[in-house]
Amino acid sequence: MAAPVPWACCAVLAAAAAVVYTQRHSSQEAPHVQYERLGSDVTLPCGTANWDAAVTWRVNGTDLAPDLLNGSQLVLHGLELGHSGLYACFHRDSWHLHHQVLLHVGLPPREPVLSCRSNTYPKGFYCSWHLPTPTYIPNTFNVTVLHGSKIMVCEKDPALKNRCHIRYMHLFSTIKYKVSISVSNALGHNATAITFDEFTIVKPDPPENVVARPVPSNPRRLEVTWQTPSTWPDPESFPLKFFLRYRPLILDQWQHVELSDGTTHTITDAYAGKEYIIQVAAKDNEIGTWSDWSVAAHATPWTEEPRHLTTEAQAPETTTSTTSSLAPPPTTKICDNGELGSGGGPSVPSLISVPVTLALAAAATTASSLLI
Amino acid sequence: MDLRAGDSWGMLACLCTVLWHLPAVPALNRTGDPGPGPSIQKTYDLTRYLEHQLRSLAGTYLNYLGPPFNEPDFNPPRLGAETLPRATVNLEVWRSLNDKLRLTQNYEAYSHLLCYLRGLNRQAATAELRRSLAHFCTSLQGLLGSIAGVMAALGYPLPQPLPGTEPIWSPGPAPSDFLQKMDDFWLLKELQTWLWRSAKDFNRLKKKMQPPAAAVTLHLEAHGF
Repeated sequence: MAAPVPWACCAVLAAAAAVVYTQRHSSQEAPHVQYERLGSDVTLPCGTANWDAAVTWRVNGTDLAPDLLNGSQLVLHGLELGHSGLYACFHRDSWHLHHQVLLHVGLPPREPVLSCRSNTYPKGFYCSWHLPTPTYIPNTFNVTVLHGSKIMVCEKDPALKNRCHIRYMHLFSTIKYKVSISVSNALGHNATAITFDEFTIVKPDPPENVVARPVPSNPRRLEVTWQTPSTWPDPESFPLKFFLRYRPLILDQWQHVELSDGTTHTITDAYAGKEYIIQVAAKDNEIGTWSDWSVAAHATPWTEEPRHLTTEAQAPETTTSTTSSLAPPPTTKICDNGELGSGGGPSVPSLISVPVTLALAAAATTASSLLI
Repeated sequence: MDLRAGDSWGMLACLCTVLWHLPAVPALNRTGDPGPGPSIQKTYDLTRYLEHQLRSLAGTYLNYLGPPFNEPDFNPPRLGAETLPRATVNLEVWRSLNDKLRLTQNYEAYSHLLCYLRGLNRQAATAELRRSLAHFCTSLQGLLGSIAGVMAALGYPLPQPLPGTEPIWSPGPAPSDFLQKMDDFWLLKELQTWLWRSAKDFNRLKKKMQPPAAAVTLHLEAHGF
């Protein structure tokens, strides 16, 4: 069987060739990942090359000036965030890629900020955390929850990566909860912890659907309605009380009302005709703290329809033109001598002009009544 | 009851049986009474009043005990104080307590707590503290009476004392000063937590005792035939 032998031969030769090929181009191994601290100095050796080897360094494909080199090593002073990138060194003549470094410039983590809150009492509470300043490199967080000596599970939030949830197993506990968090990255590590009683972290979400409406025929009233937050699981056994604040947009001072029951309230001292801004907050009746203020509702109290302007006009010109009003001109006009003859002769004696006005006014009313 | 070091409550347990011999609360005349609703509300209000009173009393007492007891971060493990009635309860168990059990647990807890508080009063150093404690004890006695009233209105029997032990208190060797203070700390903590729990307990009772108007009408109609 002559055929298989040459085939096997070819296969081996091909494999050998492949190996040699990859070895020649082998610094296509995954680049070495390196984390360095912002502001520090770093020297990057060109892999295993001799110190005096002739190499060129490139960062993200751009050549680097030779004055940064110390022999075949790249020296970077005072690292900045912009220094992060893929550094590669090549043999100067053959352009053979010798070594690659993926450099990340960052900071070790500062003490994390941790807070816990129960907006779903008595179901449970959640804790969230963040770093006060960015590290610019990936961080891992580890949260542990202790209730006395018992370890509790903190389930990761499905949407937010810096939050986890704990379910209450027991209520009315005298033993405090201790939540600890540790954060670490390639450059360092930090941690913090907080301790609290079950009752102190209760803070509901703000009330929902706050709506304010004017009250018909009541120019100083506004009716406000809202709903208990949907996250509060059991308002029957754990009732909420509410705090309402309102002010006209034009003033800075808020008025406050505390309500121990119900989800409506009527404001009875609104300034007529002024637009109001209204907000509501919620709190468990006995424990915890007030929620944040709700989304604001705006409303203006009911105002009466304005009457026709002509009945209120004081200008004398109206007495000389046909009015559409059916009301007799007010008697004050007749006696209002000062307004008569405006824009005209000041020398017209008022006594003479009065009967003229009367006659005209009478004519006007007769005319208008005839028009009906 | 075995007496452990730091478990000074064991010594007072005998004394506490005195409380069980409270004069029986006369059953309310059922005809024409508005139901237990108003007295539940009154009991609820009393727990709020007591909780408020306790806040200032506990502050003063813990300062008297001195550090670390008056430090806000003080978080000792719960050791000793075994006989103190604990407010903590499994969430589902608490939810499903029937009215009788809910009221009984409250009554028994405050009976014990009152007794222990009176023991505290005996040992308190300053006259001012003794006065505050005595005032609080009187209010707590009022709360007990109020709970007893609700139970009587609903036809539940008051819990009876355990048979046997007669109230003769023979003082044993005093536990260490620090452990005694720890017990005082836990007493106040448990009292505070019970008052919070009672507010929630009575809220729940209030809601159950006040059926919505529609349901009441149906109820009457059902009896119509």
